[in-house]
Amino acid sequence: MENNQVKKKGIGRLLLGEWKTATIVTVGIGAALYGVLMVYGGIPVFTNTQLTTAMIIPVVVGGLFGPLPALVTCGVGNVIADLIGGWGMWFDWSIGNAVMAFCVGLLPVYGAKIREGVFNVKHAVIYAVCCILGNVLAFGIVTPVFSYLLYASDLNITFLQAFAATLGNSSVLIVIGIPILILLASRFKARTNLSQEKSNDY
Amino acid sequence: MNNRLVINFIPGPTTLHKMTGGTKVLLFVLYTIAVIATFDIRVLLPLMVLPLAAIVSMKPNYKPLVFLFGFTFLTVGVIGSVMLIAVSPDVGMVHVGSHTLVMQITESIYVTKETLWYILVTFVKRTASFLVVIAFALMTTPSEFASGLNFLRVPYKICIIVSLAYRTIPDIAHRFIDIRNSMMMRGVELDSRRASLGKRLKYTGAMLAPLIISSFGRVESIANAMDLRGFGRHRKRTWYAEHELTRADRIMRAFAAALAAATLFYIAYFKIINPYPVTMWCPFVSPENITKTNVFDTLFFLKWFD
Repeated sequence: MENNQVKKKGIGRLLLGEWKTATIVTVGIGAALYGVLMVYGGIPVFTNTQLTTAMIIPVVVGGLFGPLPALVTCGVGNVIADLIGGWGMWFDWSIGNAVMAFCVGLLPVYGAKIREGVFNVKHAVIYAVCCILGNVLAFGIVTPVFSYLLYASDLNITFLQAFAATLGNSSVLIVIGIPILILLASRFKARTNLSQEKSNDY
Repeated sequence: MNNRLVINFIPGPTTLHKMTGGTKVLLFVLYTIAVIATFDIRVLLPLMVLPLAAIVSMKPNYKPLVFLFGFTFLTVGVIGSVMLIAVSPDVGMVHVGSHTLVMQITESIYVTKETLWYILVTFVKRTASFLVVIAFALMTTPSEFASGLNFLRVPYKICIIVSLAYRTIPDIAHRFIDIRNSMMMRGVELDSRRASLGKRLKYTGAMLAPLIISSFGRVESIANAMDLRGFGRHRKRTWYAEHELTRADRIMRAFAAALAAATLFYIAYFKIINPYPVTMWCPFVSPENITKTNVFDTLFFLKWFD
């Protein structure tokens, strides 16, 4: 019973992430990176939809600090992308992207602790599934609902765009995301792999 | 890239620039809500006047603005409309509530008067939203943005995130261009004419890794500097950018209150108490002739299940 409670609290805390100064700075820089990549680092596919490399940022932030920081990064980053891109506010897509970032940033919750260098095949598979499910949830349900309510967009077009976005984002998240996660994990592992030596040589 | 950036980092000289951050963010939020709340072109067109006047009064550099507007017009206006007519030509039926054929191209592709009206209204709405964003981006500096958000009772740690992000954009943009140029010098091909999509995806990954690692590499030192200056010790903080209210502030805050009241009244009366039968008012469709359509009947993928 007691053990169970501890575990529950642990998951709640993992979902919230830890909010210290480093988290705030990471989220800020992540949002800026997200905005810049969203505007300048995309490969256009469809109106409103790009094969955007910005999707990597919530993965990195999520891997380091957890899903809620990833969500804030994506939400703020999207507003900033709208401000510097100057194409008007698209809150429907901002909310959708934030929801997707939350799903993608779940990494520490299922045990892929990038900061301790833990990322193996099992985590990669769960990560890929999370990416696809998160995209379907965000762009298949959340974005069309807000799109219809806020801007009366035509749902057929929105679903087509959502389909393209899901395909594009998932491919970017899996093709670029997994190598970057492995790279980051190995970098952190190289730094944190210190162990206490039990010797009396000196 | 630099002349495409419309956001503003230096406090400007005009009356609007000199307002406090709180007033700017308040106006921006209320105005965005007002634009989102309505689909009535009789309301949207007058709403566009004020941001337009604000942009003109700030004497900006018009080149990037014209470029941005052209881009929006091309993607949302032209390509979006063509796609709309190709995918669901009868969208006017759902949102305007009638069907008057203008031109029949093929059996499933046709142009109706109502669809054209729908395109016009959504475009006016997007333009209004665009003008509001541009006016806000032109008059606000990062610190004013942060202090303004705090004025709206957003927790100050979130405000700092916004200000930090806003402030590091030029740095990151520079680094991004540097890395891209040096990668291109080493023979990484990013041109769509010469490299396939898969290859470009791979190369983009190769370009992203140094950008991400170098950007996030500075986190520790910035966080330490902030910690050393006592960031996050107290529950409240003051803002250097927040100053005493000017005359323009008082006028604009009174206007903001009026706008909020008008928006609330509009939503309460025209959306809840006495709603128009369909989304958009249209001059050549009288309310008696409107036929209501269920949105779900128009979804193309639901027809597959019949």
